Amino acid sequence: MRKLFIEILIFIALFFSLWFALGRIDWMSLFKIEQLTKSTEEKLGDTFWEFFSKTETEIKSTSVNKSLDSLVSHICKENNIDRSTIKLHLLRKQDINAFTLPNRHIVVFSGLIESSENEAELCGVLGHEMAHMEKNHVMKKLLKEVGLSVLVSMTSGKGSPEAARQLAKLLSSSAYDRKLESEADIASVDYMIKADIDPAPFADILYRLGDEEKNIPNQVYWISTHPESKERAENIVQYIKGKKIIKKSVLSAGEWERMKEKLSEKED
Amino acid sequence: MNSNGNFVYTPGEHEAEKASNSYLMSLIAVIAGLPLPIINLLATVIFYLANRKSTYFVRWHCTQALLSQFSLLLMNSTGFWWTISIIFSDERVTTHYIAYMITIFIFNLTEFIATIYTAIQTRKGIHVQWWLYGNLTNIVCRP
Repeated sequence: MRKLFIEILIFIALFFSLWFALGRIDWMSLFKIEQLTKSTEEKLGDTFWEFFSKTETEIKSTSVNKSLDSLVSHICKENNIDRSTIKLHLLRKQDINAFTLPNRHIVVFSGLIESSENEAELCGVLGHEMAHMEKNHVMKKLLKEVGLSVLVSMTSGKGSPEAARQLAKLLSSSAYDRKLESEADIASVDYMIKADIDPAPFADILYRLGDEEKNIPNQVYWISTHPESKERAENIVQYIKGKKIIKKSVLSAGEWERMKEKLSEKED
Repeated sequence: MNSNGNFVYTPGEHEAEKASNSYLMSLIAVIAGLPLPIINLLATVIFYLANRKSTYFVRWHCTQALLSQFSLLLMNSTGFWWTISIIFSDERVTTHYIAYMITIFIFNLTEFIATIYTAIQTRKGIHVQWWLYGNLTNIVCRP
């Protein structure tokens, strides 16, 4: 019996030692998993952005882009996010929408800015999209929806352009799963608190757009594709309750108004 | 692994065939049941239950085949669910995951080779007692 006990111990030790020893080898580099994922992500991001840049009008008004960039840069700076790697795009479209593409592309529709009542509301949505980007939710979603092999074939030129278009549309018009959405909400609130931006308006925009969606469902993409908006708003309110929040503006009142005016002038 | 013909009695041709089949059963199930690790255990359990009233030699080898599947079931199930969580949740492929999969591959391969060898030997009526599992079987399976 003692011999058997020793043999069982040796067996368990053998298993864990082998696992431990093999774990010392850097398989990720050896199999080039990270490089493969990274290069796939880069190519996918560019392919998807190409689709939007061809089908939609990009706003290149210096003042509007500068204001939007100030908001993103401020959040990045206060949260140690590398701003230089983010590709921020503003598209002329009335739909209330913003979304993230692979390789750190963030696309904002002018309709979202126009429907935001203040910069904090916009920052909440921007923070939410930045959280999807930072937490790699985009690639997780794509891997889950179509798998790595399809993504790799798409970037190596073997995939059909139609499939790439469908995937680009999927990213712009469908939500992540509930867990990832709420993770991005909370991360956005954290970004805002660190950046001294009041997170309460983020909950307000969710409440308001949730109501608007009932009247104009086709335009309020960001809400119709992000279900349970009221529940999410309540979660945000609960999360910030009791937290010490410093409220500062990134843009001056004039800058914010000018940005909205410029957008309504339709000056590109 | 101990390979010797010194069983308590000399098994007959029919017994040798049945004992050998218990190993073949788990081999076929491994091939058919991948990647679901429970399949080969189930196949071995069914074969064990069917032969539990058979002669000692047959029972002994059915038990050894069954016990060897248990440890593999634990390892393979962990690997299976780990893989599922990578595919369907936030889990990512890590060096530890790859190391684990290689480890269970080595254990499965060792068991696979040992099973083929034992199936051949028992078919010839030669008693093969595995390291660890042989002693376990001696405790569980009585004449």
